[in-house]
Amino acid sequence: MCRLNVSLAIILWLTCVPVLLPQSVDLPPGPLQAKMKTACSECHESGIIVQQRLGRAAWTKEVDKMIKWGAVVDPGDRNAFIEYLSENFPADREPYVAPRTARPKKK
Amino acid sequence: MISRREFVTGASAAIGVVGVARPLLSWGAAEAPAIPGKHGMIVRSLRFLDLEMPIEYGNSLITPVEHFFVRNHMHEPSTLDPGEWRLSVAGEVKTPLTLTLAGLAKMEQHTVIDTLECAGNGRAFAVPHVPGVQWEKGAVGTARFSGPRLRDVLERAEARPTGKHVMFRGLDEVPGKVPAFIRSIPIEKASDGDTLVALRMNGAALTRHHGFPARALVPGWIGAASCKWLTEIKVLDKEFDGNFMSPGYRMPNLPVKPGEAVRVEDTHPATALNVKSLITSPGNGASVKSRAMLVRGVAWAGEADIAKVEVSTDSGATWQPAQLGKEQSHYAWRLWSYPWNAPKPGAHTIMSRATDTQGRIQPDLVEWNPSGYLINVVDRVQIHVQA
Repeated sequence: MCRLNVSLAIILWLTCVPVLLPQSVDLPPGPLQAKMKTACSECHESGIIVQQRLGRAAWTKEVDKMIKWGAVVDPGDRNAFIEYLSENFPADREPYVAPRTARPKKK
Repeated sequence: MISRREFVTGASAAIGVVGVARPLLSWGAAEAPAIPGKHGMIVRSLRFLDLEMPIEYGNSLITPVEHFFVRNHMHEPSTLDPGEWRLSVAGEVKTPLTLTLAGLAKMEQHTVIDTLECAGNGRAFAVPHVPGVQWEKGAVGTARFSGPRLRDVLERAEARPTGKHVMFRGLDEVPGKVPAFIRSIPIEKASDGDTLVALRMNGAALTRHHGFPARALVPGWIGAASCKWLTEIKVLDKEFDGNFMSPGYRMPNLPVKPGEAVRVEDTHPATALNVKSLITSPGNGASVKSRAMLVRGVAWAGEADIAKVEVSTDSGATWQPAQLGKEQSHYAWRLWSYPWNAPKPGAHTIMSRATDTQGRIQPDLVEWNPSGYLINVVDRVQIHVQA
């Protein structure tokens, strides 16, 4: 019973540790790279961005939605964000190949 | 009832998701990230966590938790103390409740085998492309869920006749000004004997990625209905008014041309899943040694049952019936198989399509909609048969 209580105490402590997850691919280099990461990183990493294949109108809607939802984008940078995303992730670009999570190491 | 030992197991599983931070990878790199308890999964997003099952893992009635897809809209709760966790039941009820995990575990437990599919599964096949997680085929899995019936919880709270919808709120951590992930289902579905407050998945406590300690389980409906990390149930006199009910998770009332905008007043909530089959073996792009092979797959139909699955090996000119597996459970996918001898070496396309008991059949072409929901186009794999 005592062992169980100790286990539970450890479990409860560990479940209070913030979840740290591995990070994904980086955004393409360029003057907007750092600003994009800062604006987007509170909510998500770049993997969700680099898999999109959208035209300029769709990117415009996405950028405006994200600004509405709290992405910190200087109003003077809005158009540059749309340009950066439209150029790097256009509708006709080849599909993104997603990585897979690691398999357990054989003992 | 959950024993203390099982409780520890579940909590341990919840801990198991705590990963190790890694440095940023260089542009375009695709190094395999380590996520304990989720091996070989396709990474659609690491934060928020969205993991897709490689479809070749779908060859069994029950999908192991290790291979079950993960769809998170927000950050997972950073703290989950099952002893402190509470589920409130309020709104249009005579007796508001505050339930503990132990209290829920003491209620009559019911088990449902459910095929859970993300509404956006197959979005990557929408042309023109639509924004969102670019799921291909594997945002779907089948698991055995157990817990008290939601209707028993509502009866205990003495839901009033004015209650028409039941809202679920989870402990998702909402960043920025993002709207909270809150959804509701009609009282009729909430009162169905198979709709659960699920505590267990495949015989063990839910893991953190799947909603520990409790989630809604709305069988046959899009995955978004089955809110995770449940902390509040509220009976409402109308559908919940929030982003993830409208404009989110809605389908056009009428077919739309690909790329066409749809006004929200011309839409309705996405609810039950479509009829759909997928080929799990051979895999797309496989090079097979023998002309003789067993084509295998799964098929499901939300609240309906699968009536038949057919396979075509001549680009859809003719269709042959597949053998349906013996294992059956309402809401669960059906395994199927089709023995085939390729007539000659070289490139071949194998197609599958399912028909359900409502007469629905998978379409030949993607039925496009602005959010890429419920895409159930006839499945195709291309293989190479070696000489």
